[in-house]
Amino acid sequence: MGIGPQSLTRNPSVPRRSKVWTFIREYYVAYVFSGPAILFLVGLLFVPMVYVFYLSFRQVNLLLPAAHGFVGWQNYLYVLQSEPFWLYVRHDVVWTLGSVLGEYAVGMTTAVLLDQKIVGRAFFRGIIIVPWLVPIAVASVVWTWILDPSYGILDYLLKQIGLMPTAVDWLGTPSLAMLSIIFINIWRSFPLYTLMLLASLQAVPKDEIDAALIDGATAFQRFWMVKFPYLKIASIVLVGLNVMWVFNNFSFIWLLTTGGPITATTTPAIEIYQEAFQSFNFGDAAALAVLMILLLFVTFAIVRALFAVWQKVRAPRPIA
Amino acid sequence: MSFVVRRRVTSTVTYVLLGLFSIYCLFPVAWMVSTAIKPASQVRTDHPSFFTGHPTLINFLTVLEHTQYLMYARNSLIVSAFTTLLSLTISVFAAYAIVRLSQAPGVRQLGSLLLVSQATPPVLLVIPIFFIMSDLNLLNTYFGLIITYTALGVPVCTWFLRSYLSNIPEDIEEAARIDGCSRVSLVFRVILPISLPSVVATGVYAFVLAWGSFTFGYTLVSSNAMRLVTPALSLFTGLWTVEWGLLMAAAVLNVIPVAILYIVVQKYIVGGLVAGAIK
Repeated sequence: MGIGPQSLTRNPSVPRRSKVWTFIREYYVAYVFSGPAILFLVGLLFVPMVYVFYLSFRQVNLLLPAAHGFVGWQNYLYVLQSEPFWLYVRHDVVWTLGSVLGEYAVGMTTAVLLDQKIVGRAFFRGIIIVPWLVPIAVASVVWTWILDPSYGILDYLLKQIGLMPTAVDWLGTPSLAMLSIIFINIWRSFPLYTLMLLASLQAVPKDEIDAALIDGATAFQRFWMVKFPYLKIASIVLVGLNVMWVFNNFSFIWLLTTGGPITATTTPAIEIYQEAFQSFNFGDAAALAVLMILLLFVTFAIVRALFAVWQKVRAPRPIA
Repeated sequence: MSFVVRRRVTSTVTYVLLGLFSIYCLFPVAWMVSTAIKPASQVRTDHPSFFTGHPTLINFLTVLEHTQYLMYARNSLIVSAFTTLLSLTISVFAAYAIVRLSQAPGVRQLGSLLLVSQATPPVLLVIPIFFIMSDLNLLNTYFGLIITYTALGVPVCTWFLRSYLSNIPEDIEEAARIDGCSRVSLVFRVILPISLPSVVATGVYAFVLAWGSFTFGYTLVSSNAMRLVTPALSLFTGLWTVEWGLLMAAAVLNVIPVAILYIVVQKYIVGGLVAGAIK
């Protein structure tokens, strides 16, 4: 640009400026309109992401401000060596798989039930959304009360029915705590699955279902061969997003068990909070955060690769 | 089995299952309300029952009069309301740009970026944001909380509004543009009036999100005077582990305002959410 006979003539900068000028005139509205959103996205999501990376290589302890400085990989080594990091990752995998599989199963079942032409469908749909309206802090106190070992209603009912001889401390017993918080998380989160899967089910073309009916397909075949392919996109979006959210969930576990009893429900997300806001070791916490991002990336890369292989293997078969 | 009989069996099974799921969904909420309206003597008992012969509002009065619940609620109201206003203003224009002005280089990508940013879990942002707010002296301020929640709200709101706005036929705008209407007044005079219900629904969603979110209110606020209502509830838990009646009353007070708002605009929110995810 600017090299050539025109730039030497005495009518300078006209072609160049007018090009820029046209661009600005053409598009400035788009950038003015999207500018604030970009600003927030960059300022409070991307800058922090980079910042957490930077912090992870520094000693940042609010109790020892004099010791601040670059420490290389030391935070990572500390996190990986002197803490039961992989145990917490295992907890997290159990928590994530249990929650997401359970949510998907309950969500799918309710969506299929609500997809039928029945009286009161809107009514039942309204009821099923209820858990999702309850803020997690509220859900946590309510479930803590229901599961209370001394006066909780659940233990009382189970004893009445004769299923349990004595009261059980659901959230306070190491072997039961994880199961309990997964159950509560499923309760709180499955409605989103129901809504999205139901919407996809209702988008299945009617004539395809009718054709399958005429061909004598059983209910299961109709679901699996006709309807399920239409649920694929919604399923991938739901499972993908939720794996991300649940794996990194801090608030629900913290509110229900604070990672206890002892460390039975401690995940890296809980550890990040404890390192940062209880031990004031922000450098270590940042290293943990980066490790979690990496873990998720690796997991998704593997899943994507497997998915691609699976599609390739399936592809040659005719669609029947 | 004849078709009619089979159909009847199917529908009976459906209703039984839906009934069970309804109990699963409603039981905790019903138990919360039931505990909140019981006198203390019936809360901690060996024979708990759903129904009480002596419903009382004493738990609610105690929470409102003897705790700082109202102050926390006021803080939450201020933060959530401004978050809603700010997110909506930013998102309406961003969504409009993505839907109508996507010829501008990079604007279309902004849409996908917003979607990706949705996947960023708060706990990974908590540490850097805490530092940034601390450097800017914005810890324990409304402003710090409002911009943080706005950053979390903008992607969702833009995502919703984008799917609503893309349903508005472009011809409607043409007439106004021929009359010499600028893009800004176009948004205010044409787009907003047409899509008012969806904009309101999106606003409610942003409000509910800010009201119910825990992590940032918990970490960016340390002073009692600035505390938000949702983190405050978890403090009550530590304070009143035995006062379940009071705790449930506080929980009901927390959930009622958002639940009412939500139910009013439920239809639009569900539609927007689903469309946003599937399209």
